[in-house]
Amino acid sequence: MSSISELYDVCWEEMRDKLRKWREENYRNSEQIVDVGEELINEHASKLGDDVWIIYEQVMIAALDCSRDDLAWSCLQELKRQFPDSHRVKRLAGMRLEALERYEDANKLYDSILQDDPTNTVTRKRKISILQAQGKSSEAIRELNEYLEQFVGDQEAWHELSELYINEHDYAKAAFCLEELMMTNPHNHLYCEQYAEVKYTQGGLENLELARKYFAQALKLNNRNMRALFGLYMSASHIAASPKVSAKVKKDNVKYAAWATSQISRAYQVRGTQECTLGVFPVRLEDSCHTLLMEPPLL
Amino acid sequence: MGEVELSCLAYAKMYLHASQFPRCSVNGLLLSSSPAGGAVCITDCVPLLHTHLSLAPITQLALTQVDAWCSQTHQRIMGYYQANACVSDSSPTPCALKIAEKIFEQCNNAVLLMIDGEKMFPGCRVPPIVMYERKDARWALKDKHTIMLRQWEETCSIVNQLFSSGDQALLVDFDSHLDDITKDWTNQKLNAKIMELVSPANGNV
Repeated sequence: MSSISELYDVCWEEMRDKLRKWREENYRNSEQIVDVGEELINEHASKLGDDVWIIYEQVMIAALDCSRDDLAWSCLQELKRQFPDSHRVKRLAGMRLEALERYEDANKLYDSILQDDPTNTVTRKRKISILQAQGKSSEAIRELNEYLEQFVGDQEAWHELSELYINEHDYAKAAFCLEELMMTNPHNHLYCEQYAEVKYTQGGLENLELARKYFAQALKLNNRNMRALFGLYMSASHIAASPKVSAKVKKDNVKYAAWATSQISRAYQVRGTQECTLGVFPVRLEDSCHTLLMEPPLL
Repeated sequence: MGEVELSCLAYAKMYLHASQFPRCSVNGLLLSSSPAGGAVCITDCVPLLHTHLSLAPITQLALTQVDAWCSQTHQRIMGYYQANACVSDSSPTPCALKIAEKIFEQCNNAVLLMIDGEKMFPGCRVPPIVMYERKDARWALKDKHTIMLRQWEETCSIVNQLFSSGDQALLVDFDSHLDDITKDWTNQKLNAKIMELVSPANGNV
């Protein structure tokens, strides 16, 4: 089997830089990280200088993700040897135990870290991850709420909590989490768009109007967000079709829906390919009522 | 309710979908091109989502799009599949039941298929699926012996070949299509590759 450097004609520096990019941008392309990282470690460890330790960590986590316990173990040994008393390395050992589903042992390890250092947020979040892995969603939600009372600025935690609430169909609480995220990240189109989706799902005229507004806001921040464009079309169409709205509101929403339709058609014309079956879009919502739509609740 | 046949094409794509997103719950629709009233055969599937399965807008959109495509291609939606992120729990979620219910309103031999993640390992002798059908106003487990997977060994080998050739990466679900609309959620390319691998002697696997 040829090596990565042969297959892709790259030198070790490029491999190291790729790993850095993936690390900094928080990619979870674990199979690739394992392929590139394993070769880098095996063939070029001596050239990496101090970078080698953070690469061991990155490769170890990716290896756990790919069930490569052999590789994870050897990375862990190197790190243990270099940093024998480190909490960070202990946490990695805990992650390995999690991967092996030895949750009690992992928890013991994490508890010992937290005894020494109660503010170790990463370790606290690992304990919550264990609850999620075990399917204990209500406990995970409770722990995450407690965590956020102390560490109210942790974006990752807010987002994780919104996901947990969405899975539990607690849309009101999910919306609250997303509101926190939008406040601290006003330029993030993804949070706007997710918030709009939650509002749409909650249903009812007021929520649909909010949904439409936030889909529009997401588009303002990123006019290529297709989910926001479709969301705008659907929320405007549903509002326009509601018997409860005034003639003016109906007219405005018909306009918004028509605008969305034209933008969608344009996007597909410009970027779509022959294979896209987009001749079918846009199917007018009224036409498709006989099909399998989940009605938005309580319009 | 009687036998339900699951084609190689449908099975392979469902399996690939679940494998492509091992950390997420995934879902999709099961299609049939055989005429209603005849033998029930799931001939194809459309992978839908791997994020926020329980949020309404994209699900509604996908259902509308797939339905319209089906009318054009003489297919009908006759079922729903889902694979849960939590491998140890393959029971249908409220969201799965809701969508299956909707499908049942249009198709009275609709099926709900849950993928059993714990059985998705190489060398597993049993299909990693659990099927439910509508009985007495609820979804009941279907008798395993009424689920037909013709040429099971061949199907497994085709799936393995897709993995070894790297073609499993060709699979596009509706979510991926929305991230990049140049990707084809009807998976014409992948369908062609799978049909090539299906042995010509068994034209209807």
